[in-house]
Amino acid sequence: MATRSKMPTTSDLVKASISGKKTDFVGIAVAFILLLTVFVSLGILITLLADMLIKGWSVFADRGWDFISSPLSPDPEKAGLSQAIFGSLILMVFVVIVAFPLGVGAAIYLEEYAKDTRMTRFIVANMRNLAGVPSIVYGLLGFAVFVQLLSGITNGRTLISGGLTLAVLVLPIMMITASEALRAVPDALRQASYGVGATKWETIRHHVLPVATPAILTGSVLTVARAFGESAPLLLAGAVLSNFFSAPAGTGVVTLVTEGDYTALPIVVFNWARQPQKEFVAITAAGIVVLLVILLLVNGVAIYLRDRASRRAA
Amino acid sequence: MSTSKRLHFALALALALVVAACGGGDDDAGSSGGGGSTTLTISGSSTVEPISARVGEAFNAANPDVGVTVEGPGTGDGFKRFCAGETEVSDASRPIKDSEAASCAEAGINYVELKVAFDGLTVMTSPENTAVACLDFADMYALIGPESEGFNNWNDASALGAELGGTHSPYPDAPLVITAPGEESGTYDTFVEFVIEDVAEERGQDAAARADYQASANDNVIVENIAGNPTSLGWVGYAFYVENADTLRAIDIEGGEGCVTPSDASIADGSYPLARALYIYVNTDMAAENQALADFIDYYLSDEGLASVAAAGYVDLPAAEIEATRTAWESSR
Repeated sequence: MATRSKMPTTSDLVKASISGKKTDFVGIAVAFILLLTVFVSLGILITLLADMLIKGWSVFADRGWDFISSPLSPDPEKAGLSQAIFGSLILMVFVVIVAFPLGVGAAIYLEEYAKDTRMTRFIVANMRNLAGVPSIVYGLLGFAVFVQLLSGITNGRTLISGGLTLAVLVLPIMMITASEALRAVPDALRQASYGVGATKWETIRHHVLPVATPAILTGSVLTVARAFGESAPLLLAGAVLSNFFSAPAGTGVVTLVTEGDYTALPIVVFNWARQPQKEFVAITAAGIVVLLVILLLVNGVAIYLRDRASRRAA
Repeated sequence: MSTSKRLHFALALALALVVAACGGGDDDAGSSGGGGSTTLTISGSSTVEPISARVGEAFNAANPDVGVTVEGPGTGDGFKRFCAGETEVSDASRPIKDSEAASCAEAGINYVELKVAFDGLTVMTSPENTAVACLDFADMYALIGPESEGFNNWNDASALGAELGGTHSPYPDAPLVITAPGEESGTYDTFVEFVIEDVAEERGQDAAARADYQASANDNVIVENIAGNPTSLGWVGYAFYVENADTLRAIDIEGGEGCVTPSDASIADGSYPLARALYIYVNTDMAAENQALADFIDYYLSDEGLASVAAAGYVDLPAAEIEATRTAWESSR
């Protein structure tokens, strides 16, 4: 099949001598279909992006930074994303602080310490199931537990409730990716470490974790990116679906986080998409572009961390 | 490895700090905390939300010490929070139901109902559909009511329309494609209440629209589907119609006094049969205690505040009704 290179390689020669000189029609067809799937999936993505860029470009051209730094407004000419970006970023901080240590810690225990009993397998299987539960269910949980039951701690509909809800939502995924990363570390490495007299913790810390870190970090950042795009659970966990909200002037960041109303990027995009005025079409598209750019940045950070960590581990 | 781990942790911490600092830039004017300051929460109808959001924005600009949050989860959800004492003001696209009033009374919530604007439902089709210019309630029941399930052609409904005395039957021989708000929407409730309920009761049917139309929660989707199909039928709030008047055609409605086209004038004087009033409900105990809330309602009902009604695409109350609303507010204090 490798007709591109002029010099036939050994494997080509072997293949040719076994299959005769017949043309491999099935092989060509499969390659063509696979190429088609690449074009279709890329095509859909590029069409969507181009459509959003074309519709939203006027907003960036006319308003530039003002669109990013303005608060929400019922007037589409003035409405901006500052509150949405603030909310989304604080939510991500909560997800990182809560879900990362819990998820990775649980994974290390289950993979390295726990004996392979029926109980362990039961817990792991359940974690995998939890990862597939629709996000709206976590929203209901967030509302019942964080907004209502623990309102003494979270102050009800605040960023704390929203952040904890998202953290719980991605916790199983965080744990599974970390487990997979640990499982990929060859057992020989552990045996060798024990062989020279290292303790269990020394083995994990100096041999297992360094090898697993790149995969754990990549998985974690991608998990955070997933939380970034969630809207349904936040609507239940108290994010404000609104064209205007504002705290009293002079409210500090801490008070905003612990007591204030909040919103997030996907929620604002959803709200703008259902407004009657035509002008909202452009800022909806522009909002989607900002959302995608931030997601790309987050994924870029994931790639950077992975490369860096794998260089160190090597 | 330990240095690298520490480095990662430092990196994460730095990121968190940068995030907090960046985000704070816009809001962190005095960093004094929220001691003694108030935030007014207005929830309820998503139809009224654009009006309240405009009033809230202007009020907050003039009184930066008072935070204002306006949201629109729906009239029913709004009353739930209002009667639990969680919100100061509840937006509503219909008067409060007896069951909701009862739960407010049970919780000891006293309130005043203030009419602030008019809104109309617009029944509409594509501009290319010139065969249908006007419909009465019997016609709409025949086309959209519970007995119309399975009618894929306007003409399928002709017999039923004639039986009910619909003055515009028979209907044209063309595919009937209906797109409209889903059952969760207040706009759906209003349509069923205005158009379908009475006839359905007479005929022993459920007060509901046919189940086999395309429902959407996004009014812009409805507008697009109706504009994109030459023999479409559907309804949305008047504000959505006004914004898209170039791609849609409103069907006149006959409610006993001839065919009436939906317009600002016909909605305000009550001659358009599918008009409804929009309300805000104010917690009067909170208004008595909280000067900021009283000021907010004063501003809402001022000429400047009520200018938001037209800005949001709705229809102003006539002068006499505005006076009535202001009197109701004054006498509740």
